Amino acid sequence: MTKVANVPLAPPKPTLVLALGEEPVFAAGERIRILMRQPIGHYRVPRYLRGKAGVVEAVIKPTMLDNEEEAYGRNAGMRRHYYRIAIPMTEIWPDYVGSPRDGLRIEVFETWLERIEA
Amino acid sequence: MNHDHERGAHDHPHAPISADQAPGYYDLMETAVRELLIERRLIGADEIRRQIEVLDSRTPALGAKVVARAWLDPNFKARLLADGRKGCEEFGISFYDDTQLIVLENTETVHNLIVCTLCSCYPRPVLGLPPDWYKLKPYRARAVSEPRAVLAEFGTHIADDVEVRVSDSTALVRYLVLPRRPQGTQAYSEEDLAALVTRDTMIGVVEVNTPPERPN
Amino acid sequence: MNSSEDLLKRLPNDIGGMPAEPISRIEHELAPWEKRCHALADVLDFHKIINTEEKRRGVEALGAEMVGKLSYYERWIAAFANILLQKGILVPSDLAHKMAEVEARWVTHP
Repeated sequence: MTKVANVPLAPPKPTLVLALGEEPVFAAGERIRILMRQPIGHYRVPRYLRGKAGVVEAVIKPTMLDNEEEAYGRNAGMRRHYYRIAIPMTEIWPDYVGSPRDGLRIEVFETWLERIEA
Repeated sequence: MNHDHERGAHDHPHAPISADQAPGYYDLMETAVRELLIERRLIGADEIRRQIEVLDSRTPALGAKVVARAWLDPNFKARLLADGRKGCEEFGISFYDDTQLIVLENTETVHNLIVCTLCSCYPRPVLGLPPDWYKLKPYRARAVSEPRAVLAEFGTHIADDVEVRVSDSTALVRYLVLPRRPQGTQAYSEEDLAALVTRDTMIGVVEVNTPPERPN
Repeated sequence: MNSSEDLLKRLPNDIGGMPAEPISRIEHELAPWEKRCHALADVLDFHKIINTEEKRRGVEALGAEMVGKLSYYERWIAAFANILLQKGILVPSDLAHKMAEVEARWVTHP
């Protein structure tokens, strides 16, 4: 008896695809830098942290509105993640007086961060 | 000013009012804005009244209850640290302002301090309104750059081998410090423990006072 | 960096890390109008007539001099008035007339 040719099954179903903004861009433990942007208008990333390097301590869930857009009366719009960022005090202040262990935490919106490549 | 704070919340005509002192410019502006919005049915008179009651009902005693329970019940503490808002909601403490809450536990290696450098973000649903000093420049400017000097001004000295960790609120997350339970409180009831927890211990500028020795 | 750009680049409320005085442990009981103002802020945010972030931006938009000279709730009510005018919810004459009307309710004894 002739063996039946190995007929391929129907193509496998695609794996679940996440929508825009659903997936956090950064993960806990990743090294990031707060951007050096200097926009006019409302901002919620203090100047003392611009350009500083830190580590993502946690991804804040759920996604939320960009507070810089909310400030202009947009009560809806694209939602992205905020991240709790850990930064050593000695990274922020060159003349820091205190313990070298001391640190700062701040929530930053996704569009204000970039990954530090190894 | 000795007028009833609810006077302006009604929308019927007013008879002239005698007083020692007319309301100041900003007081007049607030009343005018509120009455105009009520007249246009954009907000309700009852809503302002109700929100004043909400604000009056939120005091540090709420936070103190949460802290005392966390000291006594490790399972509750774990839930609280995993989700601060949900932990508070177990006490019926609602978060009317849509914020989240992260509870920051003080340990033998970390001492937490909270600040809002940009404005005055504060865990109002569980602590009530912040003190003036929290909202003014000296605290906001210096807590992030010289936290130990700030702590010293409150009489708090943290050892060098303990990390001082400052959380600057800028978005929708608020913070509450879970201070360390003081020594000598093993026999204390939950109410007794809550009575030791002041507002400033939950901001992180002071530690909970070790109570004086007392008979068992 | 003392150019005019700094006025735009740094918002007047962005003071983290700036030199400042020792902390004075000021506390005050809110005046009735201040408490009403706070309640108004919460109600405006609830309705999204002026959300909390808009309020923050509105306070910043007062500029450095006003941010420095007006007290906390004075800044809020000024910001609310400005935003309501900008949104066309109120016009300046509405506010002017109503403020005069409210003021006229008070009869001060000589």
